[in-house]
Amino acid sequence: MKRRSVMSWLAAGALTLGGLSAAPHAARAADAPNDPEVFRFGAILAMSGKADWYGKVMSQAVLQAVEEINAAGGIDGIPMEAIIEDHKSGVAKEGVSAMTRLINIHGVQAVLTSFSPPTLAIAPIADEKGILLLNGGGVSAALIGASKHLFHNRSLAADLGAAAAAHARDLGLEKMAQIAWKSDAGESIVNAVDPMWKDGGGSIGATEYMEVGAANIDTQVAKIRASKPDWVALWLFSPDPGLALKRLREFGVKAPIIGIEYNQDIQSVAGKYSEGYEYTSDYFTPSDDWAKSFAAGYEERYGEAPEFYAANYYEDVYVLAEAIKRARAKGGDYWKGDKLSAEIKANPTFKSVYGGEMTYQDNGVAKKRVALFKVEGGESQFVKYISRD
Amino acid sequence: MDLLLQLFVNGVINGAHYALLGVGFGLIFATTRIVHFAYGPVFTFAAYVAWGVSGGLGLPIWLGLIAAIACAVGLGLLSYLALYRPLEVNRAPPLAPLIASLGLYIVLENLVGILFGTGVRVVDLDYGIYFLGPVFFTSIHLWQVGSFVILAGGLALFLRRTRYGKAILAMTDDPDMARIIGIDTFKITLLVFAIGSMLSAVPATLILLKDGASTHMGFAAVFMGFVAVIVGGVGSLRGAAAGGMLLGLVESLGLWQIPTEWQQSIAFVVLYAMILIRPEGLFSMARR
Amino acid sequence: MEYVLHVLAMFCLYSILATSFNLLVGFGGLFALSQAALYALGAYATAIGAGTLGLPFPIPLIMSVVVAAVMSALIAIPALRVSGHYLVVVSLALQIIVLQVALNWKGLTGGTDGISGIPQYTFFGIRIDTPGSFLVVAAIAAVACFWVCRRLTRSPFGRALRAMRENEAAAQAVGKNILYMKVTVFAVSAGLAAVAGSLFARYFTYVGADSFTIDETIYILAMVILGGAGNLWGSILGAAILVILPEALKFAPLPVDIADKLRLIAYGLVLMVILRFRPEGLLPEPRGKKAMFVPVDAEGGKGDAEALFEGGAGEPGSVTLEGRALKKTFGGITAISDFSIELKKGRITGLLGPNGAGKTTAFNLLTGFLRPTAGEIRLHGKAIGAKKPHELVGAGVARSFQDLRLFTKMTVIENVVVALPRQSGDSLASVFLRPLKVREEERANAARAMEILRFVELDKKAHETAEDLSYAEEKLLVVARLLATGAEVLLFDEPMSGLDQTTLQEIFPVIRKLAANGKTVCIIEHNLDVIKELCDTVYFLDEGRAMATGTPEALMNDPELAARYFK
Repeated sequence: MKRRSVMSWLAAGALTLGGLSAAPHAARAADAPNDPEVFRFGAILAMSGKADWYGKVMSQAVLQAVEEINAAGGIDGIPMEAIIEDHKSGVAKEGVSAMTRLINIHGVQAVLTSFSPPTLAIAPIADEKGILLLNGGGVSAALIGASKHLFHNRSLAADLGAAAAAHARDLGLEKMAQIAWKSDAGESIVNAVDPMWKDGGGSIGATEYMEVGAANIDTQVAKIRASKPDWVALWLFSPDPGLALKRLREFGVKAPIIGIEYNQDIQSVAGKYSEGYEYTSDYFTPSDDWAKSFAAGYEERYGEAPEFYAANYYEDVYVLAEAIKRARAKGGDYWKGDKLSAEIKANPTFKSVYGGEMTYQDNGVAKKRVALFKVEGGESQFVKYISRD
Repeated sequence: MDLLLQLFVNGVINGAHYALLGVGFGLIFATTRIVHFAYGPVFTFAAYVAWGVSGGLGLPIWLGLIAAIACAVGLGLLSYLALYRPLEVNRAPPLAPLIASLGLYIVLENLVGILFGTGVRVVDLDYGIYFLGPVFFTSIHLWQVGSFVILAGGLALFLRRTRYGKAILAMTDDPDMARIIGIDTFKITLLVFAIGSMLSAVPATLILLKDGASTHMGFAAVFMGFVAVIVGGVGSLRGAAAGGMLLGLVESLGLWQIPTEWQQSIAFVVLYAMILIRPEGLFSMARR
Repeated sequence: MEYVLHVLAMFCLYSILATSFNLLVGFGGLFALSQAALYALGAYATAIGAGTLGLPFPIPLIMSVVVAAVMSALIAIPALRVSGHYLVVVSLALQIIVLQVALNWKGLTGGTDGISGIPQYTFFGIRIDTPGSFLVVAAIAAVACFWVCRRLTRSPFGRALRAMRENEAAAQAVGKNILYMKVTVFAVSAGLAAVAGSLFARYFTYVGADSFTIDETIYILAMVILGGAGNLWGSILGAAILVILPEALKFAPLPVDIADKLRLIAYGLVLMVILRFRPEGLLPEPRGKKAMFVPVDAEGGKGDAEALFEGGAGEPGSVTLEGRALKKTFGGITAISDFSIELKKGRITGLLGPNGAGKTTAFNLLTGFLRPTAGEIRLHGKAIGAKKPHELVGAGVARSFQDLRLFTKMTVIENVVVALPRQSGDSLASVFLRPLKVREEERANAARAMEILRFVELDKKAHETAEDLSYAEEKLLVVARLLATGAEVLLFDEPMSGLDQTTLQEIFPVIRKLAANGKTVCIIEHNLDVIKELCDTVYFLDEGRAMATGTPEALMNDPELAARYFK
């Protein structure tokens, strides 16, 4: 494994270098590229329904990236255009409708996707038609390998959970109680963490599930408290970690609480109870120049700071642009999803808005640095990177 | 044991919430026989208005509550006047108001999303937290129980002691007879929609303070209210209150051993059992 | 273009869902809001059968249909005890429970991940993997399902279903087996929805709980209501509009975050507006001559309705139906106690008494609509206490209702045809397995019904809707409908009330003739003149017991009764 990744790094470096100098020649040497007027791609997001918050931030980031790229002259002079479609917060049928519309009416070759059910339902179509799929949202185990053209730039939910659990182990905690979303993401974390935690000699006091979206969780919290845990794991996503934090602390649970997400919404729901909350996440903080300009641009447009979902979809557009650029350098009928997918596979390393580079692994999931954060004084503080085996 | 005690207290708190919804929905249902599904989004609207006033504008929460009540009453009256009344005048079949109500439900729920945006809305409010031995509760919880006791008690007094209250009861027993003995059923219907809607605004505001408001919160509200009415016995407000309390307790105590992912189903198993064993509900109205 | 083909394929799926839901809601009047759950069961069963178990076509499809039909019959059980608003709640609860089981039973359903990789259809070596080829399959399935619905609704079974929708008790009173009809229509509707579910699984190759929420049920309901409840073509139209319109609307330049909400608001408004201004939907239920399943000329044929007017074998004056020491209490209230009655062949018996005396309760006991708390009921000497109303009609005891309970949204002739005895088309099996026999009977029945209508002089109004009749005509139709059952014991609940003298003079001979033909007749009546004119024997009831029995003259001359009642 180690050797493989070293090799791929080397290969990536060589290609990048080669690409930089050889690009003009390559274009001349191969067939003349068959350019479309515009690189039109789709994004099937949760624009309505229970989880439309995700659709909002993801689509905003996509549109920002397109705007930036076009303002800078497009890809070799050709502009990009994003068509935003709605899967109504994870309805498979809507995803397929959107996908056929994107392919047939808009002639897209690449689609940004989110949520498991619609992604699973469009994956066979992507295989069949050779459409590139980029997912920047939650990654449940079921999505791995759903399509040969599917790439994820977010860590597996299960990996984030495992990192959180690893941190709990470092703290010497023994008895875990967990509350998880009744969703593919929540369940995939429970499935991954349970055996790992038990193998490491830990015990599980309680495993409770909650509905997505501000439900009454008094009963779940009461059961967690009664199990007297050493720590409480929140396998929840925005904004529900906020509610869980608030309720757990109110109920007098004093044990450390470790989760996998924190953002403004969570903060506003949890209020003062977010103090001391620790979480593991893809480490997005506007650190280098690119990240800073993204964050500044996002804040200027939408009046709020971007969080990592926005960052992921923003990044996905750039990944797509880069893949197009590489494919175009080879000329011919390059504007094809499967060719773009082949380009990504051939050279899976891309610049990351998280800073530095990211590399897609063989399973299509980009390995990103997972970091531990702690909320102190209402602000999220970076603590350390979590090393993974 | 501590857990069981806590779950019991949770059950009473949730039960009070369901009971109040049951009484509000049940009052409208029993008097007018309209299944007012849009009771759900009216509840949601009230919560968002309370949020807008107290969270958005930062005014005191009692002003938010008053605005919520005003909004709920307005929407309740509007749904009757603009939708159900014309159907009644048209002599539409009994299920027509129900289907129309589903339509209104969809319209209002999505209107909330458009007007207020989506995502969870919270009001930052400092409230008391109490421990009674091993049992925990907050002042919001106390208000949930307290508001039920006060409003349901007040409603009971109103129905028994006042002229309008008696007219409502008469109409609940037999609308035709009520009309014959000279009760203005139109006026009484408006009154019932106003009171029932008002009763939804109070738990809506409390839920906003407790868990936060989301655009989809209305379904659970109207549905649990409806189930409480059926479990309690159609036509009996005492039954709706008892049905709501029973649902809250069973739902909470049931989860003592049952995994929490089955939370939603427990209430419906109670409903099924009730319909199979005692279809007339806990308190049935005496029928001929 | 594939996108258009995809939309058309979706239209086929929804037309199956809408027509099958229409069977339940529009024809059966059974307002069960769980169609999406049954659709889900169909999809999951195929996903498991074809995907997890790898079974070949058509086994997964059959699994889908069977699973959904059985589950649906399970909802029908509480639905038999409750109706109207209760059914709404029970079915909504079922909808939620089914989805929760789908989400929680991970081993079987894949939990929240759902089941993916379901194999597509392969027919004759051709893989159905494009919207175009799937559309062909979906269209064939849609046509087949439509044919089933059409056959079912345009049959005696379908007519009985509509009668049940109009009035359940009246449908029982003309001999229809409500239990059988409800369970059957629930099962058929669910089975067809499951076909759509099965297609869904094959087309999307993925099944997850998110696709089958309560919103989906409301969406299908909107199609039925918009198109017209009780009209199958309406459901097709409704499906077409509500599938194609939203797709077309997606081309409208709306802000993407509120576009879907606006679309949903549009659905909601459609529901409200249609109920307000055109409650019958775009295509109303067929009425008039179109309501008949056989050509109208069949009605002109010579029927054998005369036989229905005959009382059958037996000695005039012999006891046919008797109640002994009947008692009925409701809660603590005694409606009837120690009441004995004998109804005799060829005789007209009257029940007289003030309001609340227990006359209608007595009828309800004698016709099986109520079970006596104590006492015994015998027909030709055999105890019939445990029989249900429709079984009693079959055995020869039928009744009318004081409040008429006509099937108001059906035509006059339909009201009569539905009551005719021994229709093999009442059984769904015969409708599909012996269509020729059913059709032949139907032609004969049309002729018989017309004859009965001629007898009560309503033949000119045969194809009018029952609710458009005058009050006197409605009363005549009640008589016609009761006659059509062919029962030998006829119990009329106030057949004459509210009629003028002329009409009365027309009805008297009808009833006398029935008795003369050997029918056993019993009438509840307030009008002493009517009693005197018609009855051979009168039972005077008050406070739940028979105060006196005898000839009309004897009773009216009874000084005690005269003092108390006939002042």
